[in-house]
Amino acid sequence: MSEGLTRREPVPAEPVSGRDVIVRAAAPMARYALRARQASDVEKLLGRPVPHKIGDTDQGVLCLGPDEWLLLAPAGTALSAGEGAAVAVTEVSDRNIGIIVEGPRASEVLAAGCPLDFDRFNVGRATRTIFETVEVIIQRAAADRFHVEVWRSFAPWLWTAFATVASE
Amino acid sequence: MILIHCPYCDEKRAELEFAYAGQAHIARPADPSALSDEEWEHYLFIRANPRGRHHERWRHIHGCGRFFNAVRDTVTDKFETTYKAGEPRK
Ligand SMILES: [Zn+2]
Repeated sequence: MSEGLTRREPVPAEPVSGRDVIVRAAAPMARYALRARQASDVEKLLGRPVPHKIGDTDQGVLCLGPDEWLLLAPAGTALSAGEGAAVAVTEVSDRNIGIIVEGPRASEVLAAGCPLDFDRFNVGRATRTIFETVEVIIQRAAADRFHVEVWRSFAPWLWTAFATVASE
Repeated sequence: MILIHCPYCDEKRAELEFAYAGQAHIARPADPSALSDEEWEHYLFIRANPRGRHHERWRHIHGCGRFFNAVRDTVTDKFETTYKAGEPRK
């Protein structure tokens, strides 16, 4: 990369601390969209088991649909392009931004714009859904911590929405 | 808010995660060039528009992404059932 190019994030580096909740940007990470008819083909590609049930997650692999998985991995993780495998591998590392919402009021912040029932949304579960009008992928990383994936161009709006609810 | 059962996710989700995708069970003719203009017009444009039970396609676009079929009452807006694409008409 040229020295003249610097990475600019669409959300502030400084976290927003609200009442009983903190909103912060996740560190940059590698992201791969994996599409396959058979989960076993994805397992062959990754060399490890992947969740088969929609909504389940396993060590950074989210099962989003019957033929769709999202791999979240440390920045720089390289994945084979899957030559010969019946898997479509697309690197989408810089398409999304991760926003972490953490604290006793974390689920309340998400519920402000999302109709999911977070009382019945177990730790480890992940799903694509809608926050107000913005498509997001929500993963419950812990009882009081959510990782939210959002497309870069929507991130400033989502950040402002989270920060506004957090400070209420 | 209406909750719609996605047959792939196997749970009820809010209507705003879904998109309507027209009448269901309309098969593309195997040999379009063999059709008359009227038959082709019928395939492309003519839809049932019933008052009551309607078979229609929906897509869980902001969820699992899949198309599926539903039976919805056009008067009450009630979903009678939903089922996976490719399954027989219910
Ligand atoms: Zn679904």
